[in-house]
Amino acid sequence: MKQRLFALLWLAVVLAAGIHVGLTAWRGLPLQSDLLALLPAEERQPMVQRAKDHMAAQVSGRVAVLAGHADPAAALRAAQTLRDSLMGQGLLADAGDVPSAQALRQLGGLYHPHRAGLLSPADRQTLVDGNPQALADRTLSQVFGIGGMADARLLAGDPYLLLPAFMTSLPVPASRLTLVDGWPSVTTDGITWVLVSGRLTGRAYGLSDQQAFVDGYAKAAQLAAAQAPGLRLLRLGAVFYAQAGAAQAMAETSFIGVISTIGTVLLLLVVFRSLSPLLLSLLAIASGLLVAVSATLLVFGFLHVTAAIFGASLIGITVDYSLHYFARLFAEGEPRQRLRHVGTGLILGLLTTLIGYGAMALAPLPGLRQVAAFSGFGLIAAFAAVVLWFPLLDRSRCRPLPPLLGRLGRGFWALWDNQGRRLLLLGLVALALLGAARLRVDDDVRRQQALDPALAAEQAQLQAMAGFAGAGQFYLVRAGDTQTALRQEEALGERLAELRRQGALADWRSPARFVPSVQRQVDNIRLTGQHLDGAPLAELSAAIGLPMALAPVASEMLELEQVMATGAVPVLSGLVLAPGMHLVALDNATDLAKLRDAANGLDGISFIDPVADMGELLGQYRQRALWLLAISLVLMLPLLMWRYGVTGGLWVMVPPLTAVLLTPPLLALVGLPFTFFAAMALILVASVGVDYAVFCAESGQGRDPLTILATLLATLTTVLSFGLLAFSGVQGVRSFGAVMLTGIVLSALLAPLAGRVRPKRACNWQAHHD
Amino acid sequence: MIRLLALFALLWPLSVQADPVSLKPGEILRGHFTQERFLAGFAQPVRSEGRFVLAPGQGLIWQGDKPFAVLTVITPAGMAQSLGGKETMRLSATKAPFLARLHEVMAGAMAGDWRALEGEFVVSRQGDAVTLVPRRPDMAQPVKAIRARIGAFVDEVEVEKPDGDRDHLVFSRQSIDPGPLTADEAAAFAGLR
Repeated sequence: MKQRLFALLWLAVVLAAGIHVGLTAWRGLPLQSDLLALLPAEERQPMVQRAKDHMAAQVSGRVAVLAGHADPAAALRAAQTLRDSLMGQGLLADAGDVPSAQALRQLGGLYHPHRAGLLSPADRQTLVDGNPQALADRTLSQVFGIGGMADARLLAGDPYLLLPAFMTSLPVPASRLTLVDGWPSVTTDGITWVLVSGRLTGRAYGLSDQQAFVDGYAKAAQLAAAQAPGLRLLRLGAVFYAQAGAAQAMAETSFIGVISTIGTVLLLLVVFRSLSPLLLSLLAIASGLLVAVSATLLVFGFLHVTAAIFGASLIGITVDYSLHYFARLFAEGEPRQRLRHVGTGLILGLLTTLIGYGAMALAPLPGLRQVAAFSGFGLIAAFAAVVLWFPLLDRSRCRPLPPLLGRLGRGFWALWDNQGRRLLLLGLVALALLGAARLRVDDDVRRQQALDPALAAEQAQLQAMAGFAGAGQFYLVRAGDTQTALRQEEALGERLAELRRQGALADWRSPARFVPSVQRQVDNIRLTGQHLDGAPLAELSAAIGLPMALAPVASEMLELEQVMATGAVPVLSGLVLAPGMHLVALDNATDLAKLRDAANGLDGISFIDPVADMGELLGQYRQRALWLLAISLVLMLPLLMWRYGVTGGLWVMVPPLTAVLLTPPLLALVGLPFTFFAAMALILVASVGVDYAVFCAESGQGRDPLTILATLLATLTTVLSFGLLAFSGVQGVRSFGAVMLTGIVLSALLAPLAGRVRPKRACNWQAHHD
Repeated sequence: MIRLLALFALLWPLSVQADPVSLKPGEILRGHFTQERFLAGFAQPVRSEGRFVLAPGQGLIWQGDKPFAVLTVITPAGMAQSLGGKETMRLSATKAPFLARLHEVMAGAMAGDWRALEGEFVVSRQGDAVTLVPRRPDMAQPVKAIRARIGAFVDEVEVEKPDGDRDHLVFSRQSIDPGPLTADEAAAFAGLR
């Protein structure tokens, strides 16, 4: 009666959770897919984060396509069609990567009145070095040489051609393209390439936006190809990678999902020869998931996709509880007796696992905390379903154990009785020692995700031709006001110019290169007045036979805000976060160490490398995950010692601990590095391994073949679900899967060793349920 | 830059109608030039004279002697200018793609392939006079028209610009040299690679 009451109460809880989840889903589940949401909450510098987000949005939002055709007119037509179609569908917006002729004129008009204060970095250096003759010589060779662009009007107002030199020194992104009929293009090897570029209107990492863009692009490309048969297209953009990655993950997941589901269902049907164990197992898992989602939403207010996926996998392991219960079908006729027989093992398994997750929840990492909470609630719910519902719902009759399975179970118990096999074990340890020497750690984010090689090749080709070579790294400039920020960028610029000579980077874009600080403009006017006016100018004027004068000084200096307001330099809006808060973008950054050092000693300038930071973060997570693993194993000990005594408790830990210790070096032997994902898988291996050992310790005395049967079934289902991930194309996933596959198999193989242990103390479980 | 481009296209071998002079592979054209630049508003032109060397496939050396020793070297890889041995400008073709285009037109013209030139200009001929009018206005290098007089070689070129400036070039003492280039000339071309 009491049992029935508890079962109903639990049903009410699960139903409530179901209604809660249903209602929330109806309003839209508060799902988080941003990796940054998993970061430690105590992010020290919110401004750095904002800059990273801003830069990431800029980089990920960029799309560039080169349309190539042997016939320039056809290439142009195709580009026009592509652009019209993408913009017409509302997928692409203009980003001003390549200034149009009109924008250049507008820019020239903007700079012209202030030209007295504008010097290209090279010209300024020439004057600082006290070599004004070089600038006079430039004018002379322009006038007297061939191919000069100087005309009378230009020379009269700018005798040293300082403004054209300044304008050509501006760092424009697509530097290798020229405008033909208003379209940026380049001709190489007989093919004319025309650029279509812009900014995504949606989010590059939003699954639906991604799909919409790629579909729209395919349509546009088809239209363009119809305009110009034989058209070649080169793509650049995070959105293409992201979509290809998502599509691959989706395909893999569904493939692995189908194989694992079919395998598991077949396995349960073959072994138990009835449908109800399968259905009841599903019921336990489903109620676990439902309660986990509901509880996580209540506690955290949102659900992180990564945490949910990982947590759901953990709950998948709760199918083990059902398997242990249903293995008793071969022994007891009465459902309660079945439960009583495995009850102690179940409780100990649950408690040790909860201790493991409790340790995870202690970590100051929101991501891990949510994983822990999600799986903890889920496990409790699945356990409750087995204990409270199964005895009431289970109508299966007792059946004889097929002789084959019986022999398998008994044989497995005796696996390590044989001296020779124990030597084999030593051999495995020796192999692992060999692997330990080769063990290496890999925290590089770029290698953890799959990048489509075809896309990468297209991108490299496009970058080589168009000159788009944006790097992920950048400098963040934090100053009290715009002028201070510009002055700091100019100081940084001098160091970067030196580094460019050394080949550490190709170029950089800072707001100060488009609008020098007022101080710099005043100094430029001083330099030109001091070195170029008077006698040198008179000499130049006489040589050419043209009256010339230096540019008049404008009443006010050119200000950044003034230039930004005109919108003539779209690049600027990407570089200015807020007044006094600027970014300096880098092209082709190759020597990161030197670039990092370049910011040293410059107030308010910091070098930011999001990829390295992410790698560092993954490294931190990896280390912390290992610490948590160690702590949770230690925390499980008191419980195990209470049940099996001090040596017995330690002995039960031997199989899972061995599996955990051997797996990484064994995988290193085949060249797999140790990653954060591998560390997470080890936590799982440990908690599952302890379960296996505990069940064997509980029934070691009689060497019950059913325990082994349940354990082997659990191993097979786990391998079917997680082990298959070892064949994923994504390195992070593959790393996770390989550790699971190896670790779980090792745990199962070693579990019979725990059978030597005898319980020292009885649980009061039986008393409670009788 | 179009002026320049047209000039070289013209230098060779528009002379198809007269006695065709065309360069065989490896041959080099040498000659002298006089350039007068008429700047709007000034009666006196800016005058310069010197020598040039044109080596198909390799490039052009334009050596001004008077009044200043301005040396201009153009190859498919780029362009460099110096005065009295000191470099005043250097452009690589990757930074300034028009140079690559220039070379293509040059090469095309030498091979008798007029498509490249006629893509940029409307070409009309009358006797030994040829007139080129740009098909499109070029923002960077506005040119109104180019007129040339052609005998066995290109003898005279006038480039007219919309704002009233114009350049007048006269070529003389032109000869074909079977090659090879002198060491200095080869070094000048190699310096741009």
